[in-house]
Amino acid sequence: MGIDYPDLVRGDRVHSSLLHDDEAFADEMDRIFVRGWVFAAHESEIKEPGDWVTRRLGNESVIVVRDQDGAVNVLANRCSHRGTALCWEHRGHSSSFRCTYHAWTFGLDGGVRSIPFPSGYDKNTEDLGLDVAGAIESYRGFVFVNLDGSAGPLSDHLGEAGYALIDRLCDLSPSGEVDLSKGWIAHRVQSNWKLWPESDSDGYHVGFVHASMSATTDTYYDDVAIGGEAVSSSRALDYGRGHIELDFRPSFQSELAWLGTTREKVQGYCDALEARVGKARADQMLWDGPPHAFLFPNLFLGELVIAIVEPLGPGEMIHRHTSLQFEGVDDRFNQRLLRQTEAAVGPASFITSDDAITAERIQSGIGGTERRWAEGGRGWIDLSRGQHRETRDEQGVLAGDLSDETTNRGFWRRYLEVMVERAPA
Amino acid sequence: MTSLEVRAEVEAFVYREARLADEFELDAWEELLTDDFHYWVPAGRLEGDPAEQLSYLNDNRTRVATRIRQLKTGKRLAQLPMSPMRRVVSNVEVLGETDDEIEVAANFVLYELAAQSSHELRVWPGHVRYRLRRRDNGLAMAAKWVELVTAERGLRNLTFLI
Repeated sequence: MGIDYPDLVRGDRVHSSLLHDDEAFADEMDRIFVRGWVFAAHESEIKEPGDWVTRRLGNESVIVVRDQDGAVNVLANRCSHRGTALCWEHRGHSSSFRCTYHAWTFGLDGGVRSIPFPSGYDKNTEDLGLDVAGAIESYRGFVFVNLDGSAGPLSDHLGEAGYALIDRLCDLSPSGEVDLSKGWIAHRVQSNWKLWPESDSDGYHVGFVHASMSATTDTYYDDVAIGGEAVSSSRALDYGRGHIELDFRPSFQSELAWLGTTREKVQGYCDALEARVGKARADQMLWDGPPHAFLFPNLFLGELVIAIVEPLGPGEMIHRHTSLQFEGVDDRFNQRLLRQTEAAVGPASFITSDDAITAERIQSGIGGTERRWAEGGRGWIDLSRGQHRETRDEQGVLAGDLSDETTNRGFWRRYLEVMVERAPA
Repeated sequence: MTSLEVRAEVEAFVYREARLADEFELDAWEELLTDDFHYWVPAGRLEGDPAEQLSYLNDNRTRVATRIRQLKTGKRLAQLPMSPMRRVVSNVEVLGETDDEIEVAANFVLYELAAQSSHELRVWPGHVRYRLRRRDNGLAMAAKWVELVTAERGLRNLTFLI
């Protein structure tokens, strides 16, 4: 008897046992991370043929590699002979992958190159290649993977809104291309992975969890995210399919507020952007800035930061981030992005370190709840805030006040859909 | 060859700096800093130009002042309460000396209790490079660069003074 997900994920509340339950975690790794689309890497990380990075997708370690013909392949980081990991560093460059155990060697496409002493096999050794991802699609450099290949086209998963969010990010670069090759930093947190899609897109907590940041520095979050319904006109949006956004655009009080600067300081960037998209569009984009959005299930488009949510176990995860870098700007501009990223995100940052402690406190709080308590009304997490005042536009986008839990409900709605749809028959 | 006086002076500085950091004596710690102080914890080794890298921590004097102000707000969740912690500093070496600066290397192990959430004991082994500068009332710290053994694996919250 498996978990009855509809019983535990209701429209206005979620049962907290799903944040620490071993069986739920195992279900999620299969139904979400193997049988669905997940973000894996960015093409700028593997510019040349033979460049590779390793990633953990759910429970599986994979190698994301640029092939000789320029294609991106995603291979199991696991020798097809006896299971030895082929790569143990985060990134590298090689013309093939050789196992250190018995020297089986594989091409960049995962196919067998050579097996020592092949006369010991009476099967066709060409069939002994690495496991490869069932489906890979890339959009503006963002590489998405569906490990088992059963999830249909990426467009079914991203929907128009998912593509549009990536467009809004990439279009801010003067070349239209972003570079994510500065390396990823791992923030290890003792919490369930699902607390991060929620935290990264929760507009209600900012004035409380981040009060020390607000008290210490002049931050645009004072205008766009603090003070809730009384002050901010920002919106919490649910685009469907689990893709959600805190839309700060209505609240910015000046252009380039999202960059913490003014036009004179970054004139070269503004001119380069205008040269590509025209003055009217550039002026608007410089006000609007990049999206603050979460793409189900593991990609955070966090303004100038990109983060991957990486589950390690029911109560252990990594929030792995890198800094957005633009092409077609001077080094000083990209250094500004690096410094802003360091201030905002990661173990030693001024902002998400306080989110991490909050996630760990939630994990402490809910650690002892049990599924069977649900019926008796114990152990529930309330996510009803603003449900009565949500509006739905003609595209079907649900909108609430920034402080409403529209985004959180959007994540869990999609969670429930896939946990039910992809349940074993 | 480093004189015994210089060596003693350097060790006294390093131990004091460690104690002030462990005990969240934030004002006294900040007084150790020069106006051009640079504080760096890279995501990997102490290599390359910090300006070009994404690091855990890369503070100029202004940003470290902000870091200390944030800790002093009384609202910094990640340090409410402040972590009980103690570090042992050892293998202190004077790597170089000029008229006004001393380059110092040391190893350390820091034990921290995550008193804010899980009460996990967190162990932080690493290597530290100091650039110390002479001023009228003794030594000041112009740079503190910290290479963590665990840097590439990823870190728990690092919201104290490492």
